[in-house]
Amino acid sequence: MKIRIIALIVMSMAIQSLMAQKYVTKTGRIRFYSDTPMEKIEGVNQQVNSAFDLATGQMVFKVLMKSFGFEKALMQEHFNENYAESDKFPNAIFKGTVAGLQSIDFLKDGKHNVEVGGDLTIHGVTQKVKTTATLESRGGKIIGHAVFNVNPKDYGINIPTAVVKQIAETIEVTVDATYDKMN
Amino acid sequence: MKKNPLRVIVAIVIIALASGIYVWKYLYNKPHPDYLTIPADVSVDANTLFNAFVADQALAESTYNGKVVEITGVPSGIEQSDSLQFVVFVFRQGDFGDEGIRCALHPRAVKHDFHLTPDKPVTLKGYLTGFNGSDVIFEKCSFVE
Repeated sequence: MKIRIIALIVMSMAIQSLMAQKYVTKTGRIRFYSDTPMEKIEGVNQQVNSAFDLATGQMVFKVLMKSFGFEKALMQEHFNENYAESDKFPNAIFKGTVAGLQSIDFLKDGKHNVEVGGDLTIHGVTQKVKTTATLESRGGKIIGHAVFNVNPKDYGINIPTAVVKQIAETIEVTVDATYDKMN
Repeated sequence: MKKNPLRVIVAIVIIALASGIYVWKYLYNKPHPDYLTIPADVSVDANTLFNAFVADQALAESTYNGKVVEITGVPSGIEQSDSLQFVVFVFRQGDFGDEGIRCALHPRAVKHDFHLTPDKPVTLKGYLTGFNGSDVIFEKCSFVE
């Protein structure tokens, strides 16, 4: 009888552990980088919310535009007022899925290449995006990393002719997120 | 009286140089606001601030986003990321776990030996960047003594 009770407890604990496969971070880091011969512009946001469900592969990022910090105050002003229009569009959101998770054992430490695809909304405009990323399982955490490009024009962000040589046509976006298992 | 063309050219060059230096120094390279010394635009209780965003996000955004806001409340904890220290106020549980207010401390306001006193309120001041659906986010925060 005792053995049955212990087995039941162990089983229920195992089931609970399997169900709790949601990982979250509130300190994700997103960097965008524009490189032209005239100017290099870098914006960094270190308070990015992201959740990642291992069971379904669903992934979401919520990014506050005003949390991007720049080297120069003028760059930050122009970014918020002229390009991102952060008062009108305060958030950027990505909702997507990570493909091929079934073949990965996240209980073992290791780094894996994955495909991430979904809808990216910036400046109120939603576009499909797809990129390769790495997910690393280390010490019970999952560390995500991805680099992809966005074109401001695709999101209805028009660069005035006067500064067109200072802002790259394609902006490099780097995403780093260290996820903790949600209790 | 006939103007000396050389003097006119020199004057134009000096004006152009002065304008260039002014634009370079005071516009292009103007410093970020010093969030440690800048006075707060508004002071509010931490719980009231969070509830304002939950009740009417659009109204709260127009009231607080982009402003230097001073909040008072009892923090739930201090968190550390690779490069930042956060003072966290938790008011509810949601999709992202604990939800409330997160204040990233200004590098010059980080206290490595800081310990929270249970139930003791603190006052913080920082640049409020918005509400991401789960937390009200502050950057460049500092303690108000």
